[in-house]
Amino acid sequence: MMDPGRAAVIFYALFWAIRINGCVRRGRQPLLRGPEWFFNVRVPADFYAGAGKTLLRWYWMRMMIPFAVDIPIALWIIVSHHLVWLNWLALGLSALIHLNHVVSVDLAERQARPFAVEQPVASVMVSLAPRRLRHYANWRVEFVLVLITACALIWRHDLRPSWKVAAILLYLHVGLVYLKHLIVAWRMPVPREQATEHMAVQEAKRKYYLATIDWYRAALTAQLVVWSVHVGPLTTVDFATWVLISLIASVIVEIKRKQLARLSLRARPVTMPDLLRQAEIARWPVCYQPSAPLLMLKGARGYSINLANTCAIIGLAYMAGFVVLGHAL
Amino acid sequence: MLLTIDTDDPRPIYSQVADGIKELIARGKLAEGAPLPPVRQVAADLGVNLNTIAAAYRALQDDGLIVIKHGSGAVVASRTATERNPDELLRQLRAALTELVLAGFSTRKILGIVARELK
Repeated sequence: MMDPGRAAVIFYALFWAIRINGCVRRGRQPLLRGPEWFFNVRVPADFYAGAGKTLLRWYWMRMMIPFAVDIPIALWIIVSHHLVWLNWLALGLSALIHLNHVVSVDLAERQARPFAVEQPVASVMVSLAPRRLRHYANWRVEFVLVLITACALIWRHDLRPSWKVAAILLYLHVGLVYLKHLIVAWRMPVPREQATEHMAVQEAKRKYYLATIDWYRAALTAQLVVWSVHVGPLTTVDFATWVLISLIASVIVEIKRKQLARLSLRARPVTMPDLLRQAEIARWPVCYQPSAPLLMLKGARGYSINLANTCAIIGLAYMAGFVVLGHAL
Repeated sequence: MLLTIDTDDPRPIYSQVADGIKELIARGKLAEGAPLPPVRQVAADLGVNLNTIAAAYRALQDDGLIVIKHGSGAVVASRTATERNPDELLRQLRAALTELVLAGFSTRKILGIVARELK
């Protein structure tokens, strides 16, 4: 039998090893396209001798925020001997690292925009092919997931003692399907110049994110199966299997991510024109713009959630449902 | 099947969208019965007001080129627009040809442009 605390420590150590690789990759990201670029903003030749140096340093400093949160909490968990909590810490940090990176890159690009040597492009192209969730669905995968879920629920005859676990897993699954819908609906205008390359990159990114979500859905279904068959305490073999699966998944994700990065480098980044004048209508973190078809509006200082968008309402209702479900637990 | 919008074009965006779709239908890239994306998708992709795309779709419906079905989206109805006054169309052609002549294009060049566009 494997001690859950020891298992959590090993998982946390693995999390750190993978995280260092991510840190190095994110650190190189501003200069990935060469010294005449700062992320996706074309900058003058002397940019890194002046303002660029400061912006770059601030970007690297912001990368340290998750460490500043992680280290004291991890130390406290270790000292207080609640080692299992390290699993929750790693899970929370994964979300924090991603969010911090997205916000930090957006901020860095906004700060660099006044120094940009290129203006927004004049011509925008969009595809007239209807884009719906069913166009991106792999029906075999969907069938297998539904079948396994149904079998797991039927297998466990008496749902009453632990229905909450199944309810949470199913609720999370529904949320992931809705997330897929949002990714399919996500806008993808491309400039007239290099339209094919840009479209290929956007399509590849969309498929990558959708595939990632499908993996998470598969993981949730696997957890439902584990719940259904009533497995006993964690054994060393079980643990080793989980570690192996995690490592293989990390390697696959890294390979896919590198392929995507190589593809992205083929399309030269451009600034799209702001036809909706989003900077003027999105001044607060939330706004109400019924005529704007976007869920998120890009304001002058940050993003603004458009509460007039149906997706925003459904998203809020979903989160409220989560709170209710959590309360029921 | 790509639609282009140019911010330097003097035409309003709804007109550019309608003209762009008309051109794709005329070229046969959008065949009869082909589905068009929902108004929301086009508006979101271009980052324009929903009413702008709705106006373009309405204009195409008025021309008899598309049919809008509530709930199931729009489809291309026909490759030919509803009956238009031939005199009006000829007047538009004459106006465009006059602009080309005044811009200094030779007759041969104009014929070349027309042949190329028809292709």
